Amino acid sequence: MARYLGKRIFYLVLTLFIVTTLTFFLMKLMPGTPLTNQEKLSPSQIHLIYKQYGLDKPVWLQYIEYLINATHGDFGTSFQFSDQPVSYLISSRIGASIQLGVQAMVLGVIVGIVIGAFGAVKRNTWMDSATTIISILGISIPSFVLAVVLQYFIGLKLGWFPIADWGGFSYTVLPTLALAMAPLAESARFVRTEMVDVLSSDYIELARAKGMSKTGVIYHHALRNSLIPLVTIIGPVAVNIMTGSMVIENIFSIPGIGNQFVQSVLTNDYPTIMGLTIVYCFMLTVVLLLTDIVYGIIDPRIRITENRG
Amino acid sequence: MKIKQIGATVVVAAASVLLLAACGSTKDSDSGSSSKGNLATNQTVNWMESSQLPSMDSSKATDQISFNMMNNTNEGLYRLGKDNKVEAGMATKTTTSKDGKTWTFTLRKGAKWSNGAEVTANDFVYGWRRTVNPKTAGQYSYIYSGIKNADAIVDGKKAVNSLGVKADGKYKLVVTLEKNIPYFKLLMGFVPFFPQNQQFVEKEGKTYGTKASAVLYNGPYTLKGWTGTNDSWSLVKNNKYWDKKNVTLKKLNDQVVADSNTALNQFQSGKLDAATLTGQQVKNMLSNKSMKVRPMARLAYLEFNQKDKKVGKAFQNKKIRQAISYALQRKQMVKNVLADGSIAAPGFVTKDLAKNPKTGADFTKDADSDGVGISYDKAKAQKLMKEGLKEVGLKKLTFTLMADNTPQEKNAAEYIQSQIQKVLPQVKVENLNLPYKTRLQRSAAGNFQAVITLWGADYSDPSTDLNIMTKDNPQNNGSWTNKAFNNYMDKANDASADQTQQRWDNMVKAEKELMKDQGVVPLFQTSQPQMMNSKVKGIIYNTAGTPFNFKNMYVAK
Repeated sequence: MARYLGKRIFYLVLTLFIVTTLTFFLMKLMPGTPLTNQEKLSPSQIHLIYKQYGLDKPVWLQYIEYLINATHGDFGTSFQFSDQPVSYLISSRIGASIQLGVQAMVLGVIVGIVIGAFGAVKRNTWMDSATTIISILGISIPSFVLAVVLQYFIGLKLGWFPIADWGGFSYTVLPTLALAMAPLAESARFVRTEMVDVLSSDYIELARAKGMSKTGVIYHHALRNSLIPLVTIIGPVAVNIMTGSMVIENIFSIPGIGNQFVQSVLTNDYPTIMGLTIVYCFMLTVVLLLTDIVYGIIDPRIRITENRG
Repeated sequence: MKIKQIGATVVVAAASVLLLAACGSTKDSDSGSSSKGNLATNQTVNWMESSQLPSMDSSKATDQISFNMMNNTNEGLYRLGKDNKVEAGMATKTTTSKDGKTWTFTLRKGAKWSNGAEVTANDFVYGWRRTVNPKTAGQYSYIYSGIKNADAIVDGKKAVNSLGVKADGKYKLVVTLEKNIPYFKLLMGFVPFFPQNQQFVEKEGKTYGTKASAVLYNGPYTLKGWTGTNDSWSLVKNNKYWDKKNVTLKKLNDQVVADSNTALNQFQSGKLDAATLTGQQVKNMLSNKSMKVRPMARLAYLEFNQKDKKVGKAFQNKKIRQAISYALQRKQMVKNVLADGSIAAPGFVTKDLAKNPKTGADFTKDADSDGVGISYDKAKAQKLMKEGLKEVGLKKLTFTLMADNTPQEKNAAEYIQSQIQKVLPQVKVENLNLPYKTRLQRSAAGNFQAVITLWGADYSDPSTDLNIMTKDNPQNNGSWTNKAFNNYMDKANDASADQTQQRWDNMVKAEKELMKDQGVVPLFQTSQPQMMNSKVKGIIYNTAGTPFNFKNMYVAK
């Protein structure tokens, strides 16, 4: 296990390095400058400002300097927010994003499991069709459309929850719902398929033959076994939530990093773009690492093949 | 707004009246203090911004949100009031030397910073030097151009302390100019010229201006609750402000709402007293009584590259330029195509920017000569194009129209393409939409045939627009030159302080010449459509520089 873990962590660092490098050079290819007043400045003024920010150096040198500073946790200062360290910009806003992401993930996956299991048990009834419709809708309706609908009807017309803004649990309800829909649909579909398989397998028949109650069989044998493969979709679901949050944060005025990321790209705020890319990449690789570890723990076959290989 | 177009349909006229009503109502906001009999008990306003507050450092900020916040929490030598009229600020008396090159400001005694320190002449000297210092890397330092040695300091060629500003004791500030700047007073109310307390700035060091507690305030309000990266903060009445008796509002809560649909929902639920709208929403809400269309000093215009190898020769022909202008129905474009509150271009200088010093008439009114250069006339367009093409020996004209890839500019470019091709069958237009920064680079490098340019005025004087079109100005991307125009502008720029009327007349003549020769084709003036709670009064809005002055704001019963 230790060797397996070591290998995975090495890949994590390698991935981070490659993403950082690619982003850095791609970003430098972006047209334009981080200056907001570009059209009104003389070339010599632009040059002096560049010098102040270290942008007059060759790109490879900027890259090496960036890497050295980044390994010390120094992501530089933002261009858009004068004198604001990027690390502070991110650390002060990441909390809201993580809270929202985790809430959406937990809600989506749990409700998804319940709906999926329900559909499988009541297979080929109208209830099964209903769960299928829910998951199809959940996958095909983009989260930002759902967000606008929720905001208008539940927030404005019914007034049950705040329309937007941040400040307490009630403010997180609508954005969490909007963001949870995709993971909900994804896991419901997945669990249903798995469970239909499991329910028709021999050991379920055996358990029933032994005289176990139906609910007991479903809970102890069928559901548990169908959940193992669910771990594999946690990675894609996490990606879904991270990308979705960029739009959702905008719509619900949530002070998170998704919002900030879009803004920094639009303003050529190089240090912020870099910092946020690294953070997103780190979060995603860590989620993938964790799912791998969890998978190894709950499914011994993975561990064994790894050790043999 | 003047309805110049004779052939305007009833629909267009009706829409214009509507717009007129909307524009007119922005001015009903009377200046607070007069009508305080019917004040609401809760003097709190919930305001919004469409993006974050990036900086509270007057040497470094470049965006309107930062400028708005600093304009309301700090104060320069003057404060800009309604119609950009100069009102009393830190200066109580101003004298100018005969040649207009030396200005002496006497400062208010007893004006205090929020930490209790006195605001002195040295705070101005320090703040100004810090802004022009290349080490500060401020992007608004160019606006100091004209103050002695400013350009050289900004370019790193002279020492910072050679700037033409010095303190004569605690209460006297002496400014030396290289040349006469007729709009100098306006600049003195602009954020980049605000004072800074040296001791405080140096103590804060790198953190200065990055959070509410790392700034000193000498204006009507103080900033509270801004951590530098968060999305909500508030302005609270400043009890140390010298004119606090004229500040009625207790608190303004400000919140970032990036999505304008959300803003509208928040407004309709009563959570916000103001909401900035965009695009299609505006069309839907235009007839709503809460809607205020605030025109901005920002003009979209068509520039022709007269140095282009392929079509430059055609664009040098005045008749061809005029034909293109006459082919465009601007009122139809803003109403049906853009539908975002923009108004048809009133000329090259925007509406509500500057007023005649004597008569008080808007510049666009004085400079209008029966809609020359901005009106639609199909027959004239066709005739001029035929003659123009003949003169340059062409049968057909094909050119690429470059524009930003924002919805507004894209829609405008598509309209122009279809309209020109409909009215002028010999002309073919190809559209090229690019990201803003790429477009800007190509414009500056002269790498285009025709382009839709957007220009925002820095201060409320027509010269901020007209100077772009002078010979060799770096923003004159199309290289249009006209002797008479340059002549009028030279005269206007050299006018001394007491020649304001002659200067105005020269600028009016320059604008007329620009339109007559169709140096550029003005398209539309952008606006900021806003839903406003009718109980919130006393807001001063200016089209150029810093938009909002909340000093006299209050909530009526």
